[in-house]
Amino acid sequence: MIKTRNLLLASAAILLAATVSAQAAPTCENGPIQIGAVSTVTGVVDFSDAPRATQAVFQQLNDAGGINGCKVEFTIADDKGDPQVAAQAARDLIDNKGVVALAGGASLLDCAVNAATYDRNDVLAVQGVGVDPLCFNAPSVAPVNVGPYTLTTAVLDYATKDLGAKKLCTFFSIIGGTQEAYAAAVARWEKISGNTITLSDMTLPLQGDLTPYLVKARDAGCDAVLTNQVEPGVVQWIKTADAQKITGINWLFLAPGYTEGVSKALADSKQPIYVGTEWEPYTEATEANADWAKTMETAGLAKTAFSQGGYMAAKVLIDTISGIEGEVTRETVTAALKEGKELTYPLAGNAYSFGDAKAHSPMQATKIMQLVDGKWSVKTKDWFVLPAAE
Amino acid sequence: MDSLFTAAVAGLSAGGAYAILGVCAIFTYRLVAVVNFTGAAIGAAGTFAMVALFELGMPLLPAVLFGVAAGALAGLAIGLVMTTWFTGSNASTKAAVTAALLVGIIAVGLRLTGGQHPHYFPEIIPGSAFRLAGVEVTWAAVTTLVLSVAFTLLTEQFLARTRTGLQLRALSQRPMAAELIGIRVRLLALGVWAVTGGVTAFALMIIAPLRSPDFASLSLLVVPALAAALIGAFSSFRAALIGGVMIGLIEGGVSAIGPVSQYRGAVPFLVILAVLLWSQRGARWDEAR
Amino acid sequence: MKHASFRAAATTALLLAVLGALIFFLLPKYWVFLVTAVFIVGIALQSLGLVTGRTGMISLCQMSFAGVGAWVTGYLNLIGAPGGLAVWMLIGGLAAVPVGIAIGLPALRLRGINLAIVTLGFAAAFDTVLATITFPGQTTFTQVVRPEAFDSDKGYFLFVLLTYGVIAVVLEFVSRSRLGAAWLAVRHSERAAAANGISIPRAKLSAFAISAFISGISGGLLAGYLGTLVSENFSMMQSLALFAVATMAGAHFALGAIAGGMMIVLFPELLRRLNLPQDVGNVFFALGAVQALSTGETIAETWMRLARKLRPTRAVEAATAAGSLPDKTSHPAGIALEVRDLTVRYGTVTALDKVNLKVPAGTVVGLVGPNGAGKSTLVDAIAGFLYRYDGSILLNGSPLEAISATSRSKLGIRRTWQTTRIAPELRVGEYIRLAAGPISESELESLLAWFGCPGPETLISTVDVGTRRLLDVAGAVASRAPVILLDEPAAGVSYDEALKLGERIAAIPETFGSAVLLIEHDMDLVRRACSAITVFDFGRVIAAGAPAAVLDMPVVQKAYMGVEFEEAAE
Repeated sequence: MIKTRNLLLASAAILLAATVSAQAAPTCENGPIQIGAVSTVTGVVDFSDAPRATQAVFQQLNDAGGINGCKVEFTIADDKGDPQVAAQAARDLIDNKGVVALAGGASLLDCAVNAATYDRNDVLAVQGVGVDPLCFNAPSVAPVNVGPYTLTTAVLDYATKDLGAKKLCTFFSIIGGTQEAYAAAVARWEKISGNTITLSDMTLPLQGDLTPYLVKARDAGCDAVLTNQVEPGVVQWIKTADAQKITGINWLFLAPGYTEGVSKALADSKQPIYVGTEWEPYTEATEANADWAKTMETAGLAKTAFSQGGYMAAKVLIDTISGIEGEVTRETVTAALKEGKELTYPLAGNAYSFGDAKAHSPMQATKIMQLVDGKWSVKTKDWFVLPAAE
Repeated sequence: MDSLFTAAVAGLSAGGAYAILGVCAIFTYRLVAVVNFTGAAIGAAGTFAMVALFELGMPLLPAVLFGVAAGALAGLAIGLVMTTWFTGSNASTKAAVTAALLVGIIAVGLRLTGGQHPHYFPEIIPGSAFRLAGVEVTWAAVTTLVLSVAFTLLTEQFLARTRTGLQLRALSQRPMAAELIGIRVRLLALGVWAVTGGVTAFALMIIAPLRSPDFASLSLLVVPALAAALIGAFSSFRAALIGGVMIGLIEGGVSAIGPVSQYRGAVPFLVILAVLLWSQRGARWDEAR
Repeated sequence: MKHASFRAAATTALLLAVLGALIFFLLPKYWVFLVTAVFIVGIALQSLGLVTGRTGMISLCQMSFAGVGAWVTGYLNLIGAPGGLAVWMLIGGLAAVPVGIAIGLPALRLRGINLAIVTLGFAAAFDTVLATITFPGQTTFTQVVRPEAFDSDKGYFLFVLLTYGVIAVVLEFVSRSRLGAAWLAVRHSERAAAANGISIPRAKLSAFAISAFISGISGGLLAGYLGTLVSENFSMMQSLALFAVATMAGAHFALGAIAGGMMIVLFPELLRRLNLPQDVGNVFFALGAVQALSTGETIAETWMRLARKLRPTRAVEAATAAGSLPDKTSHPAGIALEVRDLTVRYGTVTALDKVNLKVPAGTVVGLVGPNGAGKSTLVDAIAGFLYRYDGSILLNGSPLEAISATSRSKLGIRRTWQTTRIAPELRVGEYIRLAAGPISESELESLLAWFGCPGPETLISTVDVGTRRLLDVAGAVASRAPVILLDEPAAGVSYDEALKLGERIAAIPETFGSAVLLIEHDMDLVRRACSAITVFDFGRVIAAGAPAAVLDMPVVQKAYMGVEFEEAAE
């Protein structure tokens, strides 16, 4: 009896909280709200599309008067793909800029280097594009993208269900710490589908000739091959397949393969090429993309997949801060994110929530694209959603 | 065993590339006495110039020619640095200079070529030549092999038979003396740099579509290249040629052996180590010191 | 000497303590965090400076050694090994040592450039290996635990500073020891080092081993600093950038290591504040290194030179004899050195043709002949610097064939070179000890005074060529070897000095007990110093005997016609 009453009380409290947050009034007595992002801008890769989109959204917000009058000041810190610089950048944002949260970052190694720093300082990161495995395996980070690991499972699942693949093979190039994550992703697919992988190669070189690997795939009789190659590698992979005159294999790639550069570079290829997206396909002018596309056009930014991540991360932060009653500080923002309220956006296939778990991988839905005559076209009209992770 | 052979054949195109880069490394060492760590980076500069022009709509042939010219120019630039400030330096210092320059060139190159965003690399020599052990051997691979053989033979003949070749040899051994007998040392040295730049650029253009074509990874092809050059003890073009191809084949072969294939990047290193330990059995005293 | 190294070490320790206190009490938390990295990088730079700057071997894989240390530290942390970070990083450092030695092995017989390729190859290979191994604890979100007393940012700064201090002080001692002098000697001239009885393999391997150890420790410190690491921390590009910075800053100096660390850590900070792209840093490092290489002067050296300019210059002090020289060493009587039918061919050219020569114990024998007569080839053959020759060379009656240059030097054949090959970074006392082994302070002082050399604390780079020639001879003599080969010791020396040198050389047998084979063009010096002369021409002995008689022989006069006539006629 007492139990029931407590439960009732608790639900009442939650209801109350919900109503309060509906008309919440965040305040900012100590100047603009500070938000930052550690991203790889120079060096081996340029991921700046994501944080620049975040910046554009905040700019739009500020131009419209801010959140309850509170403006957002957003800092992009470049980490050069260098761990030392990344650590410095994070400390600069936390200690000197006094950020309340991080949002929209896209980096080769920000999570791996800084997740512990964020954790120790009780600041949370809504990663725009989570890349390294720690982005999906840390209490302090919850990316708005599906990520290569979940996507691996999803694309493999799609290949079994929709392409009727019987002999699936995977080739991964492993960089620090991703081996376990990819192995887990493949294991999850095996569990979901009840199939076993025909060939799982974790030795793809980051650079170098791919011919031996394609020959290996052909000789193993694979009918669908998934690799985690990033942009230039995707092109190299298909070109090598063409050079070896390999046919009859469906080539599956993850989101990094879904770019206009790839479609242009492989316009001549007749190979069946599929990719899984992180969000609503950015090359499509759909209703779901409308607001994002408008924001990018206004800001004069390129419409890339990364910018969708940056855009969505900014939205998550704005919606979270809007629900805060009182002063917006690191403590209140962290608390609000940890509440784990579900936030839904048309850009993504399922709701985003941060929450208080030990690891976060909130996004579980993808759409599959196929490259046809140098153009990406949608293969799945509806979202391809993975069953909830255990 | 069969799959091993297949994989080894698959390493052929890489081997051709290593061979030509190795031969170029010896070319620079023998003629201007520099162990050049920027060799592949110079070639990468030319390759990306070609790609940029091609993307701007220039037809393939002139783009390639301009690219080779750009490679030659890049080589010339390094040559200017070396001949202006380091003519009298010892081999170690010169090597240190190129190693340091490599750091800067990669940074600049990555910036100018936009990180890992893929460029459309036109296949200069498309198609496959023949099928061997179930692997299509591409024309690109054949061409790099032929090119390296041709370059090797030409260079050998040039050095042995022509007057300029003789002068060049004098130049590398005794630059001061060469100057005294009226050889235009600097001009010749710069010529050598330009030729290496052009040749490397062309070689990289051929193989770039089959490699991960970002500036940094093309530049780091210098590691197997120098390994090949070491096999030739920095003097024998033929040994370097064979060495380069061997490294490619071994790399390819290793990728077929499950548990170790992950570490095939270590092949050049192990080859270097083995070759050095074998070839330098006797005590040697540094001539210069 | 002992005092000097204590003083230098104490100065380093004191400076670091003051610097540390200033940083600890004055800087805000964020800057303390940054400066911690400066010192960690500084340790890595010192390790590189030891191999490359001090020993002259280009190492392009220094961060790979650090990676070994870091990974081992991470593993020990994960399994909860006892002892905490201080012990873990020491074990990490030790784990890097075998790797360093393995890389150093090909360096034993290799010239610097080949080594550069080996190390770059290793860095590339290590990249591929490290990339596949997750940092221990990363998948379980386990951080490397800092020592309890030093857990905070400021605390960890103290821990790093302490480590840096210990390493800097120890390195100060080592670099002033005979081992440290041997490294410099190897860098300057391997042959000269071998001629002083230094084992080149031991010098090179010890440099690599100690360097790898220090680098491994820096990796362990980095693990504690960042909590978890990624393979990019230790990639080939990091090693290359470290090399560029070390070259620019002069990492073999404590000052240069800190300056380099500041560049690597603070440059990104500066760029961030100026809103400049981060990759500018690497371009700057590359250009700086090229600049330093072209001027031959690192940043640390420039600063030290400027600082020296500010200080009043002290005149070079001559050594004053503290006591008398010890008694002469007694060597076996009889023929100290004998050359039998020595033939050396370079291809088709015969440089030495069945040469016979005897140097009796306790005498000075002169060897004269025109340029190109094969005199220096003979010295090379005796001292063990030729791969092959026919005939035999005997020291006190026992043959020396198949014995290396280093071992011959240890057995008792010392030589000097036509041009001085003393590393200019050494001090006078350090050089003599390098050549002679551990000799007492008073013996050193009186030896220097006997030769009229400057005091033991004088830097070689500050003394003139004539004095360096004297030091060449003094070093060989101080070793008290039974046989000393002097190759044109008076070349480049003024006439007055040459006379003085002649007297000294003549007095060597009775003062020190060594026999001397003297090669010289200066006939006055030869007459003054030698008790017998052998004359060479075209690789053959054309005359031998007492100086006056031999020099008057027509065949000798003829051999000297033209090239050396004036000198012979003087």
